[in-house]
Amino acid sequence: MNEDPYAVLGVKREATQEEIRGAYRKLAKQLHPDLNPGDKKAEEKFKQVASAYEVLGDPEKRARFDRGEIDASGTERPRERYYRDFHGSGAQEHAYSTADGFADLMDEDILADILRRTRAGHGGGQFRMRGSDALYRLAVEFLEAVNGTTKRIILPDGGTLDVIIPPGTRDGQVLRLRGKGRAGIGGGPAGDALVEIEVRPHKLFTRKDGDIHLELPISLTEAVLGGKLDVPTPSGPVRMTVPKGANSGTVLRLKGKGVQRKEGSPGDEYVTLKIVLPQSSDPELEEFARRWQAGQRHDPRAHLEV
Amino acid sequence: MIPLHEFLLRCRLEHESLQAWIAAGWLATPETEPEPAFSEVDLARAQLIRDLRDDFGVNDEGISVILHLIDQMHGLRRSMEDVLDELRAVRETHGGSR
Repeated sequence: MNEDPYAVLGVKREATQEEIRGAYRKLAKQLHPDLNPGDKKAEEKFKQVASAYEVLGDPEKRARFDRGEIDASGTERPRERYYRDFHGSGAQEHAYSTADGFADLMDEDILADILRRTRAGHGGGQFRMRGSDALYRLAVEFLEAVNGTTKRIILPDGGTLDVIIPPGTRDGQVLRLRGKGRAGIGGGPAGDALVEIEVRPHKLFTRKDGDIHLELPISLTEAVLGGKLDVPTPSGPVRMTVPKGANSGTVLRLKGKGVQRKEGSPGDEYVTLKIVLPQSSDPELEEFARRWQAGQRHDPRAHLEV
Repeated sequence: MIPLHEFLLRCRLEHESLQAWIAAGWLATPETEPEPAFSEVDLARAQLIRDLRDDFGVNDEGISVILHLIDQMHGLRRSMEDVLDELRAVRETHGGSR
């Protein structure tokens, strides 16, 4: 490989290291043999580019090259076989072989038929292929996802699949059930079942990562005088002390009452208080409010400067 | 099969990175009896991952996506070859004409 590495990478001799790296990345992405399995020429070009970068990518080697101390050859990385070399006709099946890309096409009898026949005859050996992964969606209730549960999926063929929902499962999480996907071909292992979990919203709780949030209505009396209240949590009601003079918007924390996590401590529940007046107006309360002078002087909007 | 130390050496990889790659599902869990051993396919795949990460600057999420697509593409190419073989055979039995 004696071509001028600057020309190979398409950069000027005074290019910065950053420019050289950028040029290399751009070319390498286009030419990498594993990203161009059908292009036999890509490998040769990629080698030239990699070899040029081997010299120019290292400022020290580049300086020596510029001074003429080394030439562009003899620095080629001994590259072993590319990943693409383990695929294609005659190649053995391996852990990464997948039929996912055409699983749906296999429903076409004609294709399934051809593949079974040609592969049985190929290379003498019996053709085996891992089954493809099967995708399912499963909706679970909010508390089922937080606390964990087991759900049963009824499959299109009438079979069933028991899915263990671990505590703390998130919306959109994908659970992988090994060997529960489609059957393999020619005695190959079955694929996996991938179950995407949809967590339904809850009417009281919302969830932020490991923490549970809840808006808790309290009465005026409870807000003014404080007291002990029963508060719902995902694991059942818990007694909580509301301090005297609690306000709407006050947030109280129930430590460890959030979502159980696989690692580390469980999350917390955050309770946001909301003062709620009685539905119908109360003459006694109205009378009190009229008489309460400090209340009439209190301006909660003072800081808004309206 | 390639023993662990040779595998790490040949793909210039730290043991922790290897474990993380296996945990991420990028590489298959190796056979462990009598000792951890890898195949040539594992090696080629690990080198591809290293190229993607170190040379192309692909982030971890991107690598999972790329590997999945590459594997699917190989499956498809393989099926395509089989279908072409079959077509060729059909042509021959029909005397080479269409």
